[in-house]
Amino acid sequence: MNDFVLIGKNLFRRKLRAALMLVSILIAFLIFGVLAGFERAFSAGEDVAAADRLVVVNKINFTQPLPIAYFNRVRSIEGVRQATHFNWFGGYYQDPKNFLIVMAVEPETYMQVYDDQVDIPADARAAFVRERTGALVGETMLKKWGWKVGDRVPIMSNIFTQKSGSRTWDFTIVGTFTGRKPNVDTNFMVFQYQYFNETQNLGKDLIGWMALNTTSPSANERVAKAVDQMFANSFYETSTDTEKAFNKAFAAQLGNIALIVALVVGAAFATILMIVGNTMVMAVRERTREIGVLKTLGFSGGRILRLVLGESVLLALLGGLPGIALAALFAAAMETSVGNFIPGFAVTPGIALTAVALMLGFGLATGLIPAVNAMRLKIATALGRG
Amino acid sequence: MRPFLLQVAAVTVINVKSIPQRFWLSLSTVVAIALVVVVLLSFLAMANGFQRTLASSGAEDVAIVLRGGSQAEINSTVSRAQVRLIEDGPGIARGSNGKPLVSAELYLIVDGLKRSSQTKANLPLRGIGQEGAAVRKGIRVVEGRMFSPGANEIVVGKALLREFQGFQIGQTVSFATSRWTVVGIFEAEGSVFESEIWADLPVVQSLFNRNNIFQTVRARLQSAADLETLKRFVDDDPRLKLDVKSEAAYFADQAAQTSDLIQKLGWPLAIAMALGALAGALNTMYSSVAARAVEIATLRAIGFGGFPAFVGTLVESLILAAFGGLIGAAATYLIFDGFSASTLGASFTQVVFSFALSPALIAQGVILALAVGLAGGLFPAIRAARMPIVAGLSST
Repeated sequence: MNDFVLIGKNLFRRKLRAALMLVSILIAFLIFGVLAGFERAFSAGEDVAAADRLVVVNKINFTQPLPIAYFNRVRSIEGVRQATHFNWFGGYYQDPKNFLIVMAVEPETYMQVYDDQVDIPADARAAFVRERTGALVGETMLKKWGWKVGDRVPIMSNIFTQKSGSRTWDFTIVGTFTGRKPNVDTNFMVFQYQYFNETQNLGKDLIGWMALNTTSPSANERVAKAVDQMFANSFYETSTDTEKAFNKAFAAQLGNIALIVALVVGAAFATILMIVGNTMVMAVRERTREIGVLKTLGFSGGRILRLVLGESVLLALLGGLPGIALAALFAAAMETSVGNFIPGFAVTPGIALTAVALMLGFGLATGLIPAVNAMRLKIATALGRG
Repeated sequence: MRPFLLQVAAVTVINVKSIPQRFWLSLSTVVAIALVVVVLLSFLAMANGFQRTLASSGAEDVAIVLRGGSQAEINSTVSRAQVRLIEDGPGIARGSNGKPLVSAELYLIVDGLKRSSQTKANLPLRGIGQEGAAVRKGIRVVEGRMFSPGANEIVVGKALLREFQGFQIGQTVSFATSRWTVVGIFEAEGSVFESEIWADLPVVQSLFNRNNIFQTVRARLQSAADLETLKRFVDDDPRLKLDVKSEAAYFADQAAQTSDLIQKLGWPLAIAMALGALAGALNTMYSSVAARAVEIATLRAIGFGGFPAFVGTLVESLILAAFGGLIGAAATYLIFDGFSASTLGASFTQVVFSFALSPALIAQGVILALAVGLAGGLFPAIRAARMPIVAGLSST
């Protein structure tokens, strides 16, 4: 009988108790996995941001417009490799509840600037530049609404109206695209700025914001300053930041999600730490006599320590691994239903590894006190007790 | 019957008195349940606080007029001609000067620096008409004064001042090239307006290059029933393709989404944690029954029934759970009640709100705790009641 068998036997000597501890550990790691996946989805914008990309917005706020003339002026700045511009459309499909991310873009430059994120097939690229009413729809969005390439879809805006008074724009889906990285969200669509600018009646020749690639990340600061200086003291002043900083600030507007997640996960872990820790102490105390016998048989204090720690670590792994697996399943199942709201909700290998590290730490923490007690136990006391 | 009740009482007392013998295990159950209740109640208090802020913002007798289909103020546009028509509409209350209590407004988003994260966040800058403050109820300038017409002056809500930097009285705030002076701080009965910056409408229009553009019209009605009158008037006029809602309905719609979402996160989390705590409670109670096996068997041997043993164990579990629930509720109250936070509301701007714990929410927390106690005590109690006397006595 090797030590591992002994550990297993000890752990499951009271099946019900072991099962209850496993359940509470499983739940704690399920909560950890789901919340960590959730938080990661929230900060995804920060992760996918390109190091050499800057975002230029109106200094008052990013919802305020900029004149289209800025686009060419920004492109001429030294250190700017590529620039493009966007307009937020406020789109929805059929019912205002079916909110869609729809943006008007300058086709060619958009595809160049975001080439690191979205993978657009060559024929779709050509069609998007050619077709005035064409739209590129991300794979996620296409699937979600059951659209096909070639479909003509009526999209409504809660901000703009057409000059005819209608609030509906008809777009032809000329192609679809996928993300180049797994955490790039493709639940959005883009269409031609020209079509937008000519048909809508709320201010002409205005753009929402610009995105540009610098020649290298080291040029970021210089370029950002140059852009903001170029438009300083004009009616439309700009504020230029890295895409990463911009996305981070945007996510922070919702609240301190990371803190909430940390508090809840902390509470869940504190709960099981106490329950399992106490139970381990009790379980080992019940075995005092046996430990005395093992020591009489020649088991060293160190080996006893390892046996007890092994038991608590095994317990943590047996409860924690299924917990994190369940979290992964849950995230996969939820992806379609919450994808619109929190894209990229998934339990990643990084989260799983953190969880395993936590399990080991947790196992050691709950086993430490009883293990040390057992190690120090004097044979005479042990056999005399009970 | 009486001896039976005495038996139940006696066993229950023995059970409760034996709790200190399993002090650490019992304490861990109490704390585990308390943590579950804290998590549940903090989410519910967050949802409730948000809801309360928006709910108190809307009056039944104030009508808000938006462009048809725009849903939120930020998306709406209303022309000057339309504003004029509304002003002459039926059912609108008049101020002491005889003018209709109507305020055409412009709602813009500007950047502010959030104190907690030191990041930029969206703040609403509202250009209000002369009657803007009078249309709403409970607006009170608590420090400084109201902006003067035609001046680059702003007044800020009390809640906004709390969460965002740089809006103290006398400070100059710049929105692009325009400079504004903060001249007053106002209260609005804890409503969402306290998260806003207000300025004189014509000044905002000209400094933001929005001449003759309005976004919404607010009108104080003679009574809540006049909403229908005004609605019919707007629907009948082909020049007015506008939506008329009561302000209360408008804000209730806006509140629903966010507070629903918070609750939908809070309950499943709390229930998952409660299952974890349940495992702890079961463990504690089974240990309790095991530790008292001899005692229970002895009582049975001298003629006590199984039922008192059942009740005793169940009551012990419920007492631990009730303690946990109350400690959790008290802790949530001390830590989170009144805690100020802000998030992005439906108008795409920050809404500052305070966590608000209410007796109804506390009751939900305590019920969850007792449910854990009940489930955690039930099976051990059945075991206690059914324990064969011989097995119990020989279990040393």
